[in-house]
Amino acid sequence: MVKDFESLPHTADIKIRVYGKTKKDLFRHALIGMFQVIGPKIAGCHVESGRVVCKELPEKHDIAVEALDDVALLVDFLSEALYLSDVNNEAYLDVVIHELTDQKIKATIYGAKVKGFEVVELKAVTYHDLAIKKVDDVWQADIVFDI
Amino acid sequence: MTEQTLTREDFIKIDEYTYEIPKSYRPDMRVPARVFMNEKMMADILQDRAVWQLVNVSTLPGIKKYAFAMPDIHQGYGFPIGGVAATAIDEGGVISPGGIGYDINCGVRLLVANMTAAELHPHIEKVATRLFHKIPSGVGKGGKLTFDIGELDSILKGGAKRMVELGYGTARDLEFCEENGCMEVADPRLVSERAKKRGSDQLGTLGSGNHFLEVQEIDEIFDEKAAQAFGLQKGYVTVMIHCGSRGLGHQTCTDYVRTMMKKLPEWGYTLPDRELIYAPFNSQEGQDYFAAMAAAANYAWANRHMIGHWVREAWQEVIGQQAELATVYDVSHNIGKVEKHHINGREYKLVMHRKGATRAFGPGRPEVPEKYKQVGQPVLIPGTMGTSSYILTGTKESMEVAFGTSCHGAGRRLSRAQAKKTVRGSQLREELERRGIVIRSDSDPGLAEEAPLAYKDVDNVVNVVVGAHLARKVARVKPLAVIKGG
Repeated sequence: MVKDFESLPHTADIKIRVYGKTKKDLFRHALIGMFQVIGPKIAGCHVESGRVVCKELPEKHDIAVEALDDVALLVDFLSEALYLSDVNNEAYLDVVIHELTDQKIKATIYGAKVKGFEVVELKAVTYHDLAIKKVDDVWQADIVFDI
Repeated sequence: MTEQTLTREDFIKIDEYTYEIPKSYRPDMRVPARVFMNEKMMADILQDRAVWQLVNVSTLPGIKKYAFAMPDIHQGYGFPIGGVAATAIDEGGVISPGGIGYDINCGVRLLVANMTAAELHPHIEKVATRLFHKIPSGVGKGGKLTFDIGELDSILKGGAKRMVELGYGTARDLEFCEENGCMEVADPRLVSERAKKRGSDQLGTLGSGNHFLEVQEIDEIFDEKAAQAFGLQKGYVTVMIHCGSRGLGHQTCTDYVRTMMKKLPEWGYTLPDRELIYAPFNSQEGQDYFAAMAAAANYAWANRHMIGHWVREAWQEVIGQQAELATVYDVSHNIGKVEKHHINGREYKLVMHRKGATRAFGPGRPEVPEKYKQVGQPVLIPGTMGTSSYILTGTKESMEVAFGTSCHGAGRRLSRAQAKKTVRGSQLREELERRGIVIRSDSDPGLAEEAPLAYKDVDNVVNVVVGAHLARKVARVKPLAVIKGG
């Protein structure tokens, strides 16, 4: 199975490496990774191999973001999800991307209400070390979150 | 700019506590980069990219003297944590949100009790529990207070001052707070709707990560005269609050990084690191960011003020009306200020960036409360869970050497993943409890990540700061109870 994301060591914050066969996959795995790695506590979901697994994700939001390039777009997309997470007390574990260019994304994110986070809550998505590149025919990006 | 790894050999030793990367190290440096550290710390400090980030800071337009870093330096965003930079407004000086941080006005408030640790002992468990229930972390749920936009705007404008008007805390609390708990330049209109939505129900919450509430005992006095002025006596109890501007501040920084990033093609400059994005202070974007930053800073002061109020309520509910807590001081360690300083005999108006660094003004400065003027400004240095915290004071030398700045805490050494592998949360809880420290925390993994071994030794960090004359030791406190927000 192709890896979607993994946790990387970082001195003070949270860092993930995200993979995707396509850029849509990359963006999708980035969103999922961002929330999975902080351990959302969701009623009715269970943890399997270190991932939160839910039978259903009843909350959904449409996101439309524009930015100057794909790196800025990824940061702005994830920041939008983080904003929604904070005001609604939700975590998002899946997304359907309707449209994606290097400057624009339209998507619907799916999630559920959280009681809190096992690990920590995120303060922000940063540009730190963020480069979107192809390695061995797979898209890859390292994303650091401030906590 | 391809990154190069720095080594020992790149540093020039200025003295036992000061090391410098000269301007010649890289062509885009405008000033040298200086790290306050000792020989022992160097290997650790070179382990992450903090010093590379400091070199990047030295390229900022208008930067004066040096790009500084405190001994608790570690990798941050744009600026390293522990990074300090002053840019001259009249020389095209810039303001950079990364030099202030996502958690605008993360800081520390210290209160002192009118009772000793021995007198508190029979109440400590109950007090810890009451604090845990009274002061929410606000994570995954709101806090106890919700404000509509109008009320929130008045808090963004008035900070802790507004909270006093609303009936929380006292006017005296304002006197013993940096900026008296309110930066007048704040403009709530420049804080986004998004940031306000996030902040509307988070006032009076601690947040998570390394934020905490601690009940402490003053276990050592280093300077009798200063301690007396600050109201600190050996054996007495203190309460320390460490938190910031919550989602409102994080969103504000995110918003302005985004705004500035969008202007980058028009401004046309290149950045060694996107997170170092900046705007000329006198530009619209620079001014807007500063006014929004000040509003977020006011929110954080209102937050610590509110939590201080509830700490008092919890205290009195358990112990009785006669049990009092007085604010010693409140400092910010992630903030931008406009300050006047002398450099080579000339006075400059500077944009001071202190990220993971604390203002440490010396005796006689007008910003220091009257009661402390002869001594200097209190500098509050929180240790990590289960370790000592320090109260220092600013010095005249600090003004000359580092624009009146000191460290902010211990600085991270291990990554959170490494900390978790090395220390299990429940183990840590047991160990701390065995040492008589009462813990109230929802999350065990969270505890492990904050384990003291994940941090540099706060004693070493403080000793370097003192050795470099950036501050003087006044007192040390040890934890009696740690509360991480319910």
